[in-house]
Formats: sequence, structure tokens, C-alpha cells
Amino acid sequence: MKRFALAGNPNSGKTTLFNSLTGSTAHVGNWPGVTVDKRDGVYKKCAEPIAIVDLPGIYSLSPYTPEEVIARNYVLDEKPDCVINIVDATNLERNLYLTTQILEIDVPMVIALNMMDAVKKNGDKIDAKELEKRLGVPVVSISALKEQGLTELMDKAYNESKKQRQGATVLQESKLTHLISDVKTALVGQNVANPLFHAVKLVEGDEIEVNMHKETLGVVEAFKKTFDDEVFGNDFEALIADGRYKYISKHFAPVLKRGTKEKFAQTKSDKADRVLTHKIWGIPIFLLILFAIFHLTFSEDFLFLGAIFKLPELADIPAFVTVADGEETLTYGARWLQCIYDGGVMSPGVIINNIWNNMIVGELFGLIQGAVENSSMQPWAIGLINNGIIDGVGSVLSFLPPILVLFLFFSILEDSGYMARIAFILDRMFRRFGLSGRAFMPMIMGFGCSVPAMINTRTLADDKERTATIRVIPFFSCGAKLPILTAVAGAMAGAFGVGNADLITFSMYVLGIVVAILSVLLMRSTTLKGETPPFIMELPTYHAPQFKNLMLHLWDKTKHFVKKAFTIILASTIVIWVLTHFSFSWQFLDDEFINESILANIAKLVQPLFTPLGFGRQLGEFGWVFVVAAVSGLIAKENVIGTFSTLASCLAAGGHINVDGLDIMAENGIDAVRAMIMANPAIIGATLVAFIAFNMTTIPCFAAVGTAKAELGSKKRFNYTLLFWIAVSYAVGAMIYTIGAWLWTCFIWAAAVVGVITFIVLRNKKLAKKESTATL
Amino acid sequence: MPIVIAPQNQPLTIIKIAADDKTKKHLESLGITANGDVTVLNSSGGSVVCKIKDGRVALDSNLSAKIFVRL
Repeated sequence: MKRFALAGNPNSGKTTLFNSLTGSTAHVGNWPGVTVDKRDGVYKKCAEPIAIVDLPGIYSLSPYTPEEVIARNYVLDEKPDCVINIVDATNLERNLYLTTQILEIDVPMVIALNMMDAVKKNGDKIDAKELEKRLGVPVVSISALKEQGLTELMDKAYNESKKQRQGATVLQESKLTHLISDVKTALVGQNVANPLFHAVKLVEGDEIEVNMHKETLGVVEAFKKTFDDEVFGNDFEALIADGRYKYISKHFAPVLKRGTKEKFAQTKSDKADRVLTHKIWGIPIFLLILFAIFHLTFSEDFLFLGAIFKLPELADIPAFVTVADGEETLTYGARWLQCIYDGGVMSPGVIINNIWNNMIVGELFGLIQGAVENSSMQPWAIGLINNGIIDGVGSVLSFLPPILVLFLFFSILEDSGYMARIAFILDRMFRRFGLSGRAFMPMIMGFGCSVPAMINTRTLADDKERTATIRVIPFFSCGAKLPILTAVAGAMAGAFGVGNADLITFSMYVLGIVVAILSVLLMRSTTLKGETPPFIMELPTYHAPQFKNLMLHLWDKTKHFVKKAFTIILASTIVIWVLTHFSFSWQFLDDEFINESILANIAKLVQPLFTPLGFGRQLGEFGWVFVVAAVSGLIAKENVIGTFSTLASCLAAGGHINVDGLDIMAENGIDAVRAMIMANPAIIGATLVAFIAFNMTTIPCFAAVGTAKAELGSKKRFNYTLLFWIAVSYAVGAMIYTIGAWLWTCFIWAAAVVGVITFIVLRNKKLAKKESTATL
Repeated sequence: MPIVIAPQNQPLTIIKIAADDKTKKHLESLGITANGDVTVLNSSGGSVVCKIKDGRVALDSNLSAKIFVRL
């Protein structure tokens, strides 16, 4: 099968083209660096099926970041049958810089001139035929998004792939042209493939190239000594870059006919940027947008209308209440109304959540559980299905709506082009902590899932910055940790009557970010010292989010989530149920004797370790439930609440805890946690906050751990990372619990923190002194 | 003068880039080369958004103090 590679600048539409050609649903976004790994698909509408390889975006074939190395190596070493070079027509000259480099490789190529519709809209014109004549390779105008010109593009590419193409360079007019041809001759003599390309890179002094062709380097060095240019001196690399751009603006740029003569006209994007990247207003605007997102997703009092107008709750309005058996309940109609209004108008996210949970999932699972209960199955089977599987998986499934709504908002930010601006305005702040704003991208991706976020750190050029970022990504609470936050926060609000559940959730998110920042600061001043890398980022043009893209993102997330609920989570809940219903002698135990089970015994052994965090020895009889929940989170973080629901359900069935007026599965597992709180007076607010904090900052799920291992590279660095996660989560959890339980302990903690800071500062000073004396 | 203090919305020519090799190479592939044209769109608090060819590139304050331009 023939292989065609898609190469081009970041954010030029490669992945959109890839999706259109292969019918895939790969992630697309409006910022440079979305794709960080190569990706395969098949195009079937040609004479024969063709493998399409989507490569990470590159600005040139001299790589700057790890993901750019992937693209370069693919084009050079894997020898695709044709390279489809995607050129963003709205930024023709800059995009052709890469084109002139691919031209130097002996590989068939076709130019796909993308975003021609945007060029037309600006009132400009590009003569594609003329460009084709000047470049010497086929040029096809396409719109990757609207799927225009794709058949023609693929037919041309297929034709080209049958031919041979000799590399050609645009540097004939350069002062270095003789040197390049000398080096090329030498390389041809050594039977090097793509001699022209390697010759140019060697003259540039490209790092990879210099190591590969040490013996030929002498020719370049000798020439360099005799060479002097009035502008560039003997900086060959700058001279070649300049040569390329000169050639492009002289020979290729004229194919672009501008509609407006005004050269410095500001576009709409530029005007928006004057406000959104403003030095004072940029950050407040960003925080406001972030707050709006959380408000729209989680608030049960939209725009604070209920609090402002003191609106009544439904249960207080007689028309909605019916009395049956002396108990007041809401009418069926009122329960629907309750999804939208109850003492305050619900935000859109909560409305969707309520309808899904109260009216659909809750009712449906309730029916199934009722049917199972009344069936003639064995009692253990009823227990396994109702308490184990349905309560466990159901509580996890109930989180689908808030995760999707939150994700929709992040997708809108991403697709509009605002994301790149956030990175820019945050850069100034991040710089103080030793990170560049570039590191913000993978971090915010961490709110969705740590796995792609860790892979995305490949866009970071600096190795130490990369390691630090990978380590703190789990602290940006991912979608799977959201259930822990909302369930425990909701239970706290209900059981202790403290504050607002969404406020607790929001502050836990902030806590994660603060811990991340402090850990970065700590690492950058101790083990991962180094200069903060420079921030260089292209700001894409703003555009309205594409409906199709948003739906694809959501569909992907839903698929992933549901698949996980019915595989990993389902299996875990069954295992946990079984382990809590058998004793060491493999005797089946009723719910009443759950305390003698295998799992309970093992967990009780480990439990004392968690005493400083509040869920250890002091919780007594059923405290081990917390330990089991936390450990099951290592498999998948959704498990924490799934386990809680399963175990609370069993404990309730065994008569150990009282669940009057509570529904274990309903309301996102909140009641499961609440039942546990009511059963045990040793559980205080600080215990629960410490529990959330511990789960949020400890070792992430297996999938994330595996990714971290692969991305970190060295085994030693990975082991330290595991240790780091354990230490941070333990320290943060212990600090929260002890201060919450005994306020005076904050002085001890403060003293400890001051001690650590002083130690680090003094040590760094000593090291700096040593260094300066060593250089003297 | 360094690009941080250069006037906004005026055509400028880059004279010199005093950054390390790796950074310089990356800047070059983005179109920021000695002898190249650039326009500053927005310089706030040391960091700079500039127009290079037809693209917009954001640079941090450290780096923008190392790129020298003339009118």
C-alpha cells in the first residue's frame, strides 16, 4: 500500500484534512501543537487504498521541540511515497519556508493550498497555477474543512507518487551555493540518501546533521574560516534562512495579489487581541470567563437570582406537594420542574444533569433494581447486581452530564483560538515559577484527562520544564476526579450544612492548581533547576467554533467515558464486591459480616498509615472503606466514588449504617458519602477535604502512570516522580486534616515550611557561591 | 533598539537577534530573521505581539529585549 504523509506548519489544518480524507475523528483545535504524534488512516477513494499519515506540525526541518523530531524523521527515514505539504494560504510566505526545505528532499510532493476561502474573504487572490509553475511541483487549492478539492489533490498526489523527484533548492542565488554543491558532491560519494537536503543542513550547522556526518564537516569548517558577510558574519544558518525568505518574497510572494493597499490595516483578530491580551485586563477577563464556565456548569442558583430575589423552594409551595401516608412528597410534574427551578433557577449544566440523573438514570436503574429485588434469584446474586454493579456503575454514569458540559466549554475556548492567548497572558505569571506560558496548554488539557495532557508536553522545548510539567499535570483535577469532588463536596454541604457545594468544588480545583504551582516552584529551585525557556508562540486568527468539531469532541469523550464505565469500572466494582463478601477461607459472607471480609482485613492493616490524614485509625470500624476507595482509584479515579457507593450500599443492606431518606445511587453518589458521614461521628469536615486532596494529588490512574513513564524516558526520573506524588499527597492531606482538626497545628506547619524554604535558599546561595568561585 | 521599545504599527527591520542558537533557529523558521521585516502590534509590560509576514507571533519580555530592530 502506498503511504502519503501530511506535513505542514502547526495549525495549518493537517488534522482537519486527515479527518476529511480518512473519515477519522482525530482531535482538532485552533492552536499550534494539537497533534504531537503521528497518526495513521486509510484513504479509499483512489485507484488503490492509500495509507495517510498525519504528522505533528513543524515550522522547519530543523526541529525545536521533541514532537517536531517525529515529523522530520518520518519524512526522511520512513520514505513516504508522497509528501502532501499543506500550506496555509493566509500566511503564504512563512508556510513556504518549510516547503523550500521539503523541496530539497528527493521525495515526490504536492502542495495543498488550504484556507483559500479565508484568502478570498480578505479580498486577496492567489494564482495557484502560477505558483505551481514557479515551484515545479503540483499545487491544488483545497478547503479541508468544507472538503473541497480533495479528490483532485489525491489524484495529483497519486500521479506524483509513481514518479521520481530530484531534490531542488532555492539557494542557487545565495553566496553559499558553491559550498552546498561541494558538500553535496562529497555526500553523493558516500552514498548518502537525500544528499542535497543533508548538504544544506550540514552547512547550516544543524545539530543532528553535524553528529551524523562528522567527516564531511571539515569542508564546511574550512570554508567558514575564510568567509565573511557584512550583515551575517559567518553565521551560515542565518544566511541560509535569509536566503530562503529572500527567494520566497522575490519569486513566490508575487502570486498573491492583495485586495487592500493598506498594509497595516488591523484585522478583527488584532482588535480583539488589544482587549483580550491587555496587560492589566487580560488576566481578570480570563478569570471571569473561567468563573462563568464553572457557574454555567455547576451552579444551582443561576446568576444568583434565587439569592437576590429570595425565591421560595418548591417544597414550600402547597400546589406542588401531595400528602400520601402522612408524608409530603412532590408531585410528578413538580419533580420535572425541580430539575429547572428549586429556590433558584438552575444553570444549564445542572438542568441537563438533573434531567439525566433524577428523571432518566435514577428511574431506569430504580426499575431494574426493583425487578431484581423481586425476582427469584439467590440473595447473593441480588446483592451483587443491585449493591455491587448497579450502585457502583450507576453512580459513575451519573457524572456524564457535568463532564460533558464542562468539556464543551473547554472545546469552545480551544476551537475559537482563545487558548493560545491564555498561554500568552499567563506567561508573565508562570515565568516567576520557572515555567513558560507554553506549559499552560498541557496543564489545561489536564482538566480533561492527564493522558493526552502528558503527551502534549512534547511541545515543550526544555527537558526540565517538561519533567516538572508532567509531574504536576495530575494536580489539575481531571474529568474522572470530578465525581470525587462533587460527591464529597455535596455530602459535606448536606451533612454539615456548610456553605455551597459548588463553592467547595471550585475551591478544590483551585487547591490543585496552588499545589501544582508550589511544587513547580519547589522543583525548579531544587532538583530541576534551570533557566526558564523563552516563550514563542503563534497566535492563530480567531474564528467561530465549528459545530462539527465540538460535537466530535463531545462524542469522543462520551464514548471513552461509557466504555470505561462498562469495562474497567464494572470489573472493579465486581472485584470489590466479591472481596468484601468472602472471608479468607473463601466462605461467603452476608452484608452483615462485611467487616470480616478479605478486603476489610487487608485494608484495616494499612489503615493506620492514614491516621495523620484523618481517615486512619480514628475512624474505627468502617474506616477501611476510605482506604479501599482511595486505593481502587489507582485503577481509575471514577472508582473512588463507585467503590463508595458499592460499599455504602452493602453496609446499608447489612444494617450497619442508616440510610433513612437517602438514596445511595441518586444525586451523583452524594448520598452514599453522606450515609458514611452520618454513621461515623469521627468523620469531620477536615477528614473529607483531606480525603479529596489526597486523591487529587496522589499517584494518578494506571493509564496516566503508564503515560508518564513513557514520556519521562528515564527510569530514575519516573521512580522519583512516583515518590513525589506520594510525598505531596501525604503532606497536603496531613496538613489539611491536622490544621482543620486542631487549628494550633498551623504554627507547626508554618514553622516547617519556613524551615524548608530557608534551607533551600541557603543551599542555593552556597551552590551559587561555589559555582562562581569555580569559574574564577 | 530592542523590539520592546519599538513604536507600534510601523514597519521595522530586524538588525540582530542575540539569542542562543536553538532559539534563534526557531525564530528564523517563524520568519523572525535578521534583515527581515516586522511590525509590532501590541507591546504590553515587556512582552510583545508582532506581525511577521502574515502571522501573529507572541514573545516574552526576556526574548523581546534580545531582538534588535530599526525603523
